Amino acid sequence: MQLTVDGRKIDAVAGQTVLEAARAAGIYIPALCYHPKTGKAGRCRACVVEIEGMRGLKEACAQEVRDGMVVHTDTDRVQQTRRLVVDLLLAEGHHNCISCQANGTCELQEMAYRIGVERPAFLIETEPAPLDVSSEGIVREADKCIQCGRCVLACQNHVVNEVLAFGYRGSHAAVVCDDDRPMGESSCVLCGECVQVCPVGALVLKQPREAKVRPSETVATKVTCPFCGVGCQIDLHTKDNRYVFAMAHEGQWLKQPNRGSLCVKGRFGLDFIDAPDRLRTPLVRKDGELVEASWDEALDLVAAGLKQAKDKYGPDSVGFFTSAKVTNEENYALGRLARAVIGTNNIDHCARL
Amino acid sequence: MTPELQERIEQIASRYPSRRSALLPALHLVQRESNGYVDGAQLAAVAELIGVPVSEAFGVQSYYTMFERRPVGKFHLQVDTNIPAMLAGAEEIVAQLERSLDIRVGETTPDGLFTLSTVECLASCGTCPVIQVNDGYYESMTPQRTDALIASLRRGVLPDLPVQANFGSVCNVLLKRRGTPNATSLAVYRQTGGYRALPIALAKKPAEIVAEVKASNIRGRGGAGFPAGVKWSFLAKNTGKPTYLICNADEGEPGTFKDRQIMEYDPHLLIEGMTIAGYAIGANLGFIYIRGEFAWIAAILEKAIAEARQAGMLGRDILGRGFDYDLVVHVGAGAYVCGEETALIESLEGKRGNPRLKPPFPAVVGLYGCPTIVNNVETLASVPFIVEHGAAAFMHIGTANNFGPKIFGISGHVRRPGTYEYPLGTPLATLLDAAGGVDGRLKAVIVGGLSVPILTAAEAEGLIMDYDSCLKSGTMLGSGGIMVMNESTSIPRVALRAIRFYAHESCGQCTPCRQGSHTVATLLDKVVAGRGTLADLDLVVRLCRTIKGTTLCPTGEAFATPIEAMVTKFRDEFAALVR
Repeated sequence: MQLTVDGRKIDAVAGQTVLEAARAAGIYIPALCYHPKTGKAGRCRACVVEIEGMRGLKEACAQEVRDGMVVHTDTDRVQQTRRLVVDLLLAEGHHNCISCQANGTCELQEMAYRIGVERPAFLIETEPAPLDVSSEGIVREADKCIQCGRCVLACQNHVVNEVLAFGYRGSHAAVVCDDDRPMGESSCVLCGECVQVCPVGALVLKQPREAKVRPSETVATKVTCPFCGVGCQIDLHTKDNRYVFAMAHEGQWLKQPNRGSLCVKGRFGLDFIDAPDRLRTPLVRKDGELVEASWDEALDLVAAGLKQAKDKYGPDSVGFFTSAKVTNEENYALGRLARAVIGTNNIDHCARL
Repeated sequence: MTPELQERIEQIASRYPSRRSALLPALHLVQRESNGYVDGAQLAAVAELIGVPVSEAFGVQSYYTMFERRPVGKFHLQVDTNIPAMLAGAEEIVAQLERSLDIRVGETTPDGLFTLSTVECLASCGTCPVIQVNDGYYESMTPQRTDALIASLRRGVLPDLPVQANFGSVCNVLLKRRGTPNATSLAVYRQTGGYRALPIALAKKPAEIVAEVKASNIRGRGGAGFPAGVKWSFLAKNTGKPTYLICNADEGEPGTFKDRQIMEYDPHLLIEGMTIAGYAIGANLGFIYIRGEFAWIAAILEKAIAEARQAGMLGRDILGRGFDYDLVVHVGAGAYVCGEETALIESLEGKRGNPRLKPPFPAVVGLYGCPTIVNNVETLASVPFIVEHGAAAFMHIGTANNFGPKIFGISGHVRRPGTYEYPLGTPLATLLDAAGGVDGRLKAVIVGGLSVPILTAAEAEGLIMDYDSCLKSGTMLGSGGIMVMNESTSIPRVALRAIRFYAHESCGQCTPCRQGSHTVATLLDKVVAGRGTLADLDLVVRLCRTIKGTTLCPTGEAFATPIEAMVTKFRDEFAALVR
């Protein structure tokens, strides 16, 4: 089907929302509370548009497309509302981009930039809220929270850890952990999903924050998580070829084995990459001492040893253990080595130990 | 938690189609059993029993004002300081309590006997000032009565301080039994013409009842004035799911105290109306969502429901007509927004009272995802009359497009504040006369509950009190809560109190309501304190104008119209306060 957005005809699929269709066509509609993984929420009011034949402003994130629909995102009313949302969100809390971890990736900053809000229309003096640094991996800064609710929906419905919720109400409403305790003392399992969906700098990872590297400075490389056989797709964020932090790869998240989420290992367990005591070359024992060797030397030695054992004691004298940390493809390759090259069925997996 | 308490919670849970609905009642119960508050460990126990995450249970507990998380005094004194109370001198009562208890608002006396709080409108606008002490109200409080109350409480006794509430009726439909002794009993209700409509209704087809109510053109009495019969006809059909009826008894719009007159003094009228309505829309279960502060009225309803069930007016096979129907009274816990129908449904489901995105509307996806009709108390209480006497008789009362009787609650600067039942279309002047006339010279009046534009004395001249006339005169009939202000009233102070109410009651979901109300409150606070500027006033007006139409629910923007009207119509008075 087709709809018209600001005079431009765009294609859409039944079941899509106006927001999804517009974004797919490259039309910018800000949306601070909507996230593909958490769905519509109607909270931020940033995505409201005008639709011909409908009264008032409509949430683009909640409105399903209909053939022939005529949508306006550039009317005075829509622009005024966007400005109001930015002004109100900036008026309270402490949104200081200069020192913010999310500078450059913040969706509120992006919206303000697009609208051209240099400084908010008004400011309300509020006491700064304390930082929550109690968690081992996540820093919470309530002053930067815009109450979009993505983290709550993600925690409750997407990863179903049920730790985060909204507590209190009105301008006192706040995201709380369990019965409003520091994150480090809560039932949080450090999956980091809340950080993954946070549009601003209210929930950030400790690793890059302490390394003083902003997400805007890193290069993301899609890799497969090495910790287990699920095959979670990770965006490995590096700077100057060094590991900084990990995010779940969210491109086509529904088709990823991990649905755009990670567990504590994939999220926080990858800092071994640049560990100084990490094995970088094979080691071969010579005269009782482990000494560095080349791959050729090491593999020749292993091949010779395996061949000797097979010749002397038969193929079943050799056995293989694979690891949950390698991919299906690697497990398959080892299976071929055991069965076709050595000729044994003695192959098992460390998960059965 | 004791096994006995667990058993009682299980019993409550069994009344609902979904277990989670028992969360609010369970928190009320545990709080009552544990010195007036529920700590973290108890909350976790309740959460586990009901089967919700601790985080969500905390979200619910901390959302509603009536749930305490820390110890409170043996007597929790909660003074309503909203506008009708303010006009009646509630601030002086607060000051008196602070002096005599030697604590400030929000504090507890060292002996643990008293906690003093100020709260939003308790729906006692005609009998203000009002102090809620634990589960009961002390109304029409004067300095002398307040002294007597405190003296008695110090002795550990909740005293009996009689109240003389004013009322009157020229229609004798909704306030017919107000003043009749024991009218809450089934026997008196029947002797005075009650339960005549129910057999008539059950002898007809449900569609005929819907048609009759539609033909009566009765407009919803909650405030929006949407035709109730039309609402009923929006119900999704053949969904394979049950249909529910909910009575919205979350009377919380400041200046409104009409629904409680029906529930407190004529509960069977509501029960009969709800049974007929339930039959008409095909429901077998109805809920009365009553605000938490009305705990004793909930008890009156419970008693009346039990009596009706006993007499075969509720339960299985009502009057032998094969219709099964029952009612559950669900007590809220302190949240104005729960008067918005989707927030009410969320609350009834045991959640925070956050309004839902619409569409879908409740008639299609409502309670537990099922088709649901939500009607106001006064609307449902009008149904027996329509069924018994016919749509034509109903339309004989009132004016075109604005038919039927209406309870007007008149508070503020009148000599006999109270509730008065008159036909829609009655002149405001007649109603003010009924309420004993204005005490002093009229300065301004808010005629439909707080959320409608204020009228100056000149604008109120000749005002006709019905939906269409009020709209034509630049205001709204709303809930029919009329707040009268004489020349001693400071409109800036009224505006500040009003916006503080909206900011306090914002659910916090959407940006314009949460931050908008808070920002306007901060600005008006500055102005009233003499620290504001004309630019602040302009900003207030600009914010109010821009916020209209941008919120998630109609309650979110409810502050914009009245505040804008106050600041623009009485601008000189505001301007006189700025630096």
